[in-house]
Amino acid sequence: MSEMWINMGPQHPMTHGLWNLRVHVDGEMVLDVDPEMGYLHRGIEKISEDRHYNEVVTLMDRCCYVAGLAWEHLYILSAEQALGIRPPERAEWIRVMSEEFQRLGSHLMWYAAFVQDIGLMAPFLYGMRDRDLVLDLFQSYTGARMTYEYMRVGGVRNDLPNGFTDQSRKVCDWLIDRFEEYDRLCLASAIFHKRCDGLGKMSRADCVAYGVTGPMLRSAGSKRDLRKDRPYSAYDRVEFDVATADGADVTARYLVRMEEMRQSVRIIRQALDWLDKNPGPVMAARVPRWLGAPYAPIGNEGYLLKRNYPKGLGLSAIEEPHGEAQAYIVNDGGEHPYRVKFRSPVFANISAAKKYLVGYRIADIPPIMGSVDVCVGECDR
Amino acid sequence: MSVTLLSVATAISQAILGAIGSVLPQPASGAVTNVNTVDGLAALIFAAILLLASMLNTIVLIWWERKLLGRFMDRRGAMHVGYAGLLQNFADGIKLFRKDTVKPREADTLGFWSGPTAYMVTSLIIFAILPVSTGWNSGSLPLSLLLALAVFSFAPLFIFVSAWSSNNKYSLIGGMRSAAQMIAYEVPILLAVVAVVLVSGSFDLQTIVLEQTNYWFWVPLFLALVVFVAGMLAEMERIPFDLPEAEAELVEGWNTEYGGMMFAFFMLTDYLRALLGSFLIVLLFLGGWTMPGWVPAAATSFPLAGIFWFMLKVYIVFTVFVWIRASLPRVRTDQLLRVGWNRMVPLALLSVVLAALLVTVKCLPVLGCIPTLGG
Repeated sequence: MSEMWINMGPQHPMTHGLWNLRVHVDGEMVLDVDPEMGYLHRGIEKISEDRHYNEVVTLMDRCCYVAGLAWEHLYILSAEQALGIRPPERAEWIRVMSEEFQRLGSHLMWYAAFVQDIGLMAPFLYGMRDRDLVLDLFQSYTGARMTYEYMRVGGVRNDLPNGFTDQSRKVCDWLIDRFEEYDRLCLASAIFHKRCDGLGKMSRADCVAYGVTGPMLRSAGSKRDLRKDRPYSAYDRVEFDVATADGADVTARYLVRMEEMRQSVRIIRQALDWLDKNPGPVMAARVPRWLGAPYAPIGNEGYLLKRNYPKGLGLSAIEEPHGEAQAYIVNDGGEHPYRVKFRSPVFANISAAKKYLVGYRIADIPPIMGSVDVCVGECDR
Repeated sequence: MSVTLLSVATAISQAILGAIGSVLPQPASGAVTNVNTVDGLAALIFAAILLLASMLNTIVLIWWERKLLGRFMDRRGAMHVGYAGLLQNFADGIKLFRKDTVKPREADTLGFWSGPTAYMVTSLIIFAILPVSTGWNSGSLPLSLLLALAVFSFAPLFIFVSAWSSNNKYSLIGGMRSAAQMIAYEVPILLAVVAVVLVSGSFDLQTIVLEQTNYWFWVPLFLALVVFVAGMLAEMERIPFDLPEAEAELVEGWNTEYGGMMFAFFMLTDYLRALLGSFLIVLLFLGGWTMPGWVPAAATSFPLAGIFWFMLKVYIVFTVFVWIRASLPRVRTDQLLRVGWNRMVPLALLSVVLAALLVTVKCLPVLGCIPTLGG
């Protein structure tokens, strides 16, 4: 068989989204790859310029469809900085809890997709089943399972319902037991190690050079985690360890993500304890009135007069489930942001594909790309 | 059991032709009821019954796999069409039958259409060779085992033909993998069969089963059983050896371009081959339709008891395959081939040597004295 280019995508079981990986193969060997992104570009940054600050939250859920709350959190942190508004402490703890639950949901989704990529059938549905419990919790306090629209500039939309913390603790206990089961299904299998050990090597220096962050960077031995290095919200008040591994391969990324889920449960338990003890408001007392009108007609300049509001810049960075995400907002005093820019970790992680895919086999592409954890929504925005 | 499938078919044929002959005038009626016509129709009826039985079994097998996989995945599987989803596969079949099969413009017409057809037909032929109880087959086929395995190993050729003629890169890679894998696993399978033949002293499947009345062959030939089962998993292209249609990287592998009824053909044939593999394992190693002596006579002497116990064993073997599928990841092509040539072939050779030793030292009859195994 001679050399040829194969298009893996835009519709291909490996992609987990809408993107195209062009692969140059010689028989089974991968000689070159060329990731093509942009199939899911919706112009979220541009649309944001035409929306009120609270309305952009709606777009954030669509930005990453498996980690909506994390992206809401990212945007809100930046918007609050740009507008000079401080949320009450309870809202910050709810946001931390939400982000960690979202990390659980996202990593469970990753687990399901990843084991499916290496041919494990049953654990795929175990991951989906357990993610549903997290989604049920989201539904109980945000009203939605995927597009939450929960966070607001100056706090969160509503407080937690009665009995939420008890139910959350039950889910945490259940999940901690399931993680043991996941490890037994994967790490105890010799075939799993044959398929994953030593694949997709991405050394720490390479990660830094390509801007690769998140579990991929931590799997190369780095302890970089924004929740620890540059704490936001209430992360400076919770105890947790940064999950790292040394292999820099697919197995190491698996280990990092599994440990991160355990640490997430640890953080959630602390947040739930705090929330039980400290009732209070979840919305800042003084918020400009026009911010409280999230459903005002878009682009209707006559509807609300431009206020002479202080100008400002907002720059936030959070440790999103896939890596480090950043948001930059320019507030020029109007009711819409002047410019919104997001930095997606997935885009940087995919851009380095040539580094971790070339030299392996076609059959290695699904496990490697699975270990990268692609979310095309946030990548293309 | 004196009733054979052919005698049943002949009786039906005689009844039908007799009825037709009685209403026809003399010269025509004589031609209709003569021996050759009866035998010809009987052969057709024989084939129709076999086809129906194997297809029905295959569809039940698919249902059984779906239900089992559902349970392994903590869900219930098909539930809505028929009792516990029994008719779901018929509904799916009808849906696929109504669909159009699209041939890519650049595909090779002859290869594209004949590949799946030949794949299915060669798999069906084997059912006529395999006995499922004493006297099932008409007459004796002295080389039935060899014939069955020979026809069984046609498949890679037709898979490769249909893969190459679809003019699709995924199909081509899948076809290559399939051919490489099946050829690699043909060798250990045949060597494992040699061990069985050494112990039983015959290539006739009926004789092989009757030789197992005293002890089932998996006891002395455990190594050969392991090799044979692993090789069969590769031949049937099931997880962990389902690389040719590894959906994660190759979409659907060699049948990527096939849709509608052609896809149904492939799907059905995959399960036909799974059924055949289970048949062969039961026939060669698990005593066929014979049962150990401690089973009460009433349980083995009712009408069609042989078929009942045989099919029960087949379904148990298949259940193990489903279990494996639910709990193992897929291996990689090079790993699979390395295991095939470097591990399975030596193991199979070792099992042949062991079988030869067992035969020469004449210790096999001892096994028959152990009460749990003996008949």
